[in-house]
Amino acid sequence: MNDLLTPKESRVSAPAVPRRTLTPCYDVKETSEAFILTAQVPGVDRSSLELTVDALKLTVLGRRVFTAPAEWRALHREIPQADYRLSLELDHRFNPEAVRAELSQGVLTLTLPKAEAVKPRRIDIKG
Amino acid sequence: MKLIRYETSPVYNPSTSYTSLRDEMDRLFDVAFPTLSLFQRDGILGDWQGEFPLDLYQEKDAFIVRAELPGFRKEDIQVEVTDGTLTITGYQKTERKSDQKEKEAQTTTQERRVSRSVALPEHLKLDKIQAAYENGVLTVTLPKREEVKPKQIAIEVK
Repeated sequence: MNDLLTPKESRVSAPAVPRRTLTPCYDVKETSEAFILTAQVPGVDRSSLELTVDALKLTVLGRRVFTAPAEWRALHREIPQADYRLSLELDHRFNPEAVRAELSQGVLTLTLPKAEAVKPRRIDIKG
Repeated sequence: MKLIRYETSPVYNPSTSYTSLRDEMDRLFDVAFPTLSLFQRDGILGDWQGEFPLDLYQEKDAFIVRAELPGFRKEDIQVEVTDGTLTITGYQKTERKSDQKEKEAQTTTQERRVSRSVALPEHLKLDKIQAAYENGVLTVTLPKREEVKPKQIAIEVK
């Protein structure tokens, strides 16, 4: 949602990101151990995926690797000419050291383990 | 002479034009549209469940179709060509266990299917069609048949 408030930001060309970016379709599920983020990023492979995590922010940048050869003539185009960018704010609930990422057939799965302090803990009742 | 299909674009859809509304939404929100709405989202994206974007290219010897279908297994994607029409179908079955104790856990199974067709304007070598699925993108290469040379037919005038 952060990106919606600053749409211009994603369009400004910076040397490292020449194309405009889209936010991929993503969802976040919570389990007792971790948060699991699933994002659809078709056209991105391992080499073009950049994942940056620090204590405050998680940024996923995925570039579509395909460029049509010069001799191909486009008859119909729907696939967006944009790369993916997803930026989420993290807080104390997450343990940034233990993030795991998997990319399979254009679906990125990030597992963000919860920090120990926030895991549900059973409290024994004495008496 | 081949009968020409009366369509402005080779790509047709049962529902409304995927491109124009999607482009507008992209510009407004800079958000990519979901394929198959994995996440059961309704609302503004509700109508677009079951759609996926595709590009159609032409080169000298072949047509190439690229479709973005993230998260499928190869065996769940079907590519069919009949009579100059290419149909791409993706099938997905997801099982979801509710996060409860073993006894009470419920398994929800969802099955979804997406399908789109493309009209291909020229004769194809049906036996030489190739399809590859990589990084969630399906690429179908359809080689063209060599042009049939015009034959001279002698007409007798009686």
